[in-house]
Amino acid sequence: MERPGANGGVGERRPLLEVRSLSLSFGGLACLSDLDLEVYEGEIVSVIGPNGAGKTSLFNVISGVYRPDAGDILFRGESIVGLDPHEVARRGICRTFQTLRLFLNMSVKENVMAAAYGHTKAGVLRSVLRTPGMRREEREIERLAEERLGFFGQRLIGYRMRQPAYSLSYANRRRLEIARATAAKPTLLLLDEPAAGMNPVETQEMTELIGRLRGEGGYTILVIEHDMHVVEGISDRVVALDHGVKIAEGSFEEVATHPAVVEAYLGTTGVERT
Amino acid sequence: MSSERQMVPRIGVDQWVATAEERRLRTLGVRLDEAVARVPFALRLLGIALPVALYPVLVDSEYLLQVGIDTLVFVLLGLGLNVAVGWVGLLDLGYVAFFGLGAYLYAAVASEYAGRHWDALVAVPAVVAAVAVIGFLLGLPSRRLAGDYLAIVTLFFLQIFLVVLINSGFTRGPNGISNVLPLEVLGRQAVSLEAYFYITLAACVVVATALYLVNHSRTGRAWRALREDELAAELMTMPTNRLKLLGFAFGAGVAGLAGALYAPQQGAVFPANFDLVLLITVYAMVVLGGAGNLFGVAVGAVIVTGSLEALRSPADASWLFYGALTVTLLAVLRPWWKAPALLAATVVFGLAVHEAVEAARPSLVAGTPVGQAWIDGLVDGWVLLPENIVTGDGLPSGALGRLAYLALVASVLALTLVRSSRWRLVGLVPVLYLAASVWESLLLPQPAVARYILIGAMLVALMAFRPQGLFGRPRVEIV
Repeated sequence: MERPGANGGVGERRPLLEVRSLSLSFGGLACLSDLDLEVYEGEIVSVIGPNGAGKTSLFNVISGVYRPDAGDILFRGESIVGLDPHEVARRGICRTFQTLRLFLNMSVKENVMAAAYGHTKAGVLRSVLRTPGMRREEREIERLAEERLGFFGQRLIGYRMRQPAYSLSYANRRRLEIARATAAKPTLLLLDEPAAGMNPVETQEMTELIGRLRGEGGYTILVIEHDMHVVEGISDRVVALDHGVKIAEGSFEEVATHPAVVEAYLGTTGVERT
Repeated sequence: MSSERQMVPRIGVDQWVATAEERRLRTLGVRLDEAVARVPFALRLLGIALPVALYPVLVDSEYLLQVGIDTLVFVLLGLGLNVAVGWVGLLDLGYVAFFGLGAYLYAAVASEYAGRHWDALVAVPAVVAAVAVIGFLLGLPSRRLAGDYLAIVTLFFLQIFLVVLINSGFTRGPNGISNVLPLEVLGRQAVSLEAYFYITLAACVVVATALYLVNHSRTGRAWRALREDELAAELMTMPTNRLKLLGFAFGAGVAGLAGALYAPQQGAVFPANFDLVLLITVYAMVVLGGAGNLFGVAVGAVIVTGSLEALRSPADASWLFYGALTVTLLAVLRPWWKAPALLAATVVFGLAVHEAVEAARPSLVAGTPVGQAWIDGLVDGWVLLPENIVTGDGLPSGALGRLAYLALVASVLALTLVRSSRWRLVGLVPVLYLAASVWESLLLPQPAVARYILIGAMLVALMAFRPQGLFGRPRVEIV
């Protein structure tokens, strides 16, 4: 895979994504309040927190599904607040969904090919006339799809590419979601619970895969994950949310032992009882 | 932690998985599917279009040729509606307004009333472009509408269109424009039915090809993706609003083309040509053939137009009725022997009832069948056919017919309430007999009503056992 603008990350200290005092509420219920977050190029940052902490809402705001009440989101130094989701995606932020949202009745390959829409050009007229440029582009899309699916070994290629997405197993659907998101050629990947519902072997595989996505794919990754083994295995940095507020940030060890995090997950009484 | 995980055997990688492809190909249906898919589209299209092109040579009646042209116009309409409904997934209930617009716009550039006669090479593309633009403009305010709301807005548009046509003096109100001039290409006019047949067939081939090519491009993939999951499509870089507008305009353009070919062939345009009945008919075609499948939609158009025409004449209508009934029973009932057994039981039951009624009230079976098909003569001695259904048997005028109708509807409804499948089958015997009696004595004498009732019944039966339509792929929605 090509490396979209990867330059090691750590050396350059300008954040790829900057979330500045972001607030979002639904009818008075504060979902996110005054949240700050930075993601540097080449990093893998995990977002953790109990259910309802605002993790998926954060993803929804970044990807343009919700418009924040206050605050700003900068991607490569430019504000992306107020852009339509497809424009955000075109600029290089693509995501997967916690509740899988594949194009179920399309083939596995077409799912991935569809996501290449943003960086391809052929219009309706050129498609009908099948101009050489359009055909070249179509071949490139196909090659891209096969390559992205091939990232997952044998699981999604071969005859499976022609099968409808609904025929896939749960774990393969999660993999297909990632393949689809990468076909949009993003710089920043937002993965929403990539290991949810997977068995231990598959979870281990997913952990390795996220590492490979950065290493071979060159993506910067912001990931929501509940499985602490995965979080420990992949994260450069961990951010913990609770009730829409950032309660801790730092390395996995720092965050996992942070009193506020322990409290958020277990409650105060749980700690005192010992 | 990770070392102990690697000891676990790899789940899912075994003999069964490794041979999946091999086993899949063992199924005949799958192999057939793949064989058909390997034939290039152009060849498949040619394989359909060439036999169709022989149709004018094979039929010698003007009537049949006219039916052929109408069918092809409907194929065009179905293909266009399929873009909005089958691919983009928009419930567009204003669709036939675009057909009407195309026809009226052609009349505006080529009729004695307008005092113009544009060359078809200019007129037809201009009409198509104009209708597509109007479709686009109509889509603008409704592009954020989804599902039911879009349906209401577009239905409203169709009604406005009809009201304007009927009430404005400019379009000559309900009388329509009657002197629409024929298609003229470089001084040569298309006047014969054959010419229009081939022109319409060519239009179908061109449109089907264009639609196929668009469907297999990034635009087509994006359309289908947004039908599957609009939010996900938007988040995967697809501008869903713009794509919806494009699909809307595309369908409108095809409908406009159908209108621009229909008006010169008919030589006249009337508001009544573009009403709700037409809308329902086109929808029936798309649903019957299988939304999303070009070939299926074309087949749906042929079946619906064919049946509607056949039902016009009492000679053929009964064949369709008894044929459809038998085929449906054979298709729905499993195991296979149940359908023949049921039919045999119905025949025996009918003969017994006929004998009993003849002995008690001879006037109830003394009628003569209206249908002229051979089968109508055959069932004469079997169904209940009153001497005079309107003033029948001492009851007030029309009461007998209404009673029979009511009894049929009530018994069908009662049948759906029966839980046990065995008793439902038993109950089907008198219901079938009643249906045949109602058909012979009530529906056959009124083909105009019977046509739509029968098409409706066909659709209901189809939806019961093949909701995706004849050639559609079953859609799966699991979370």
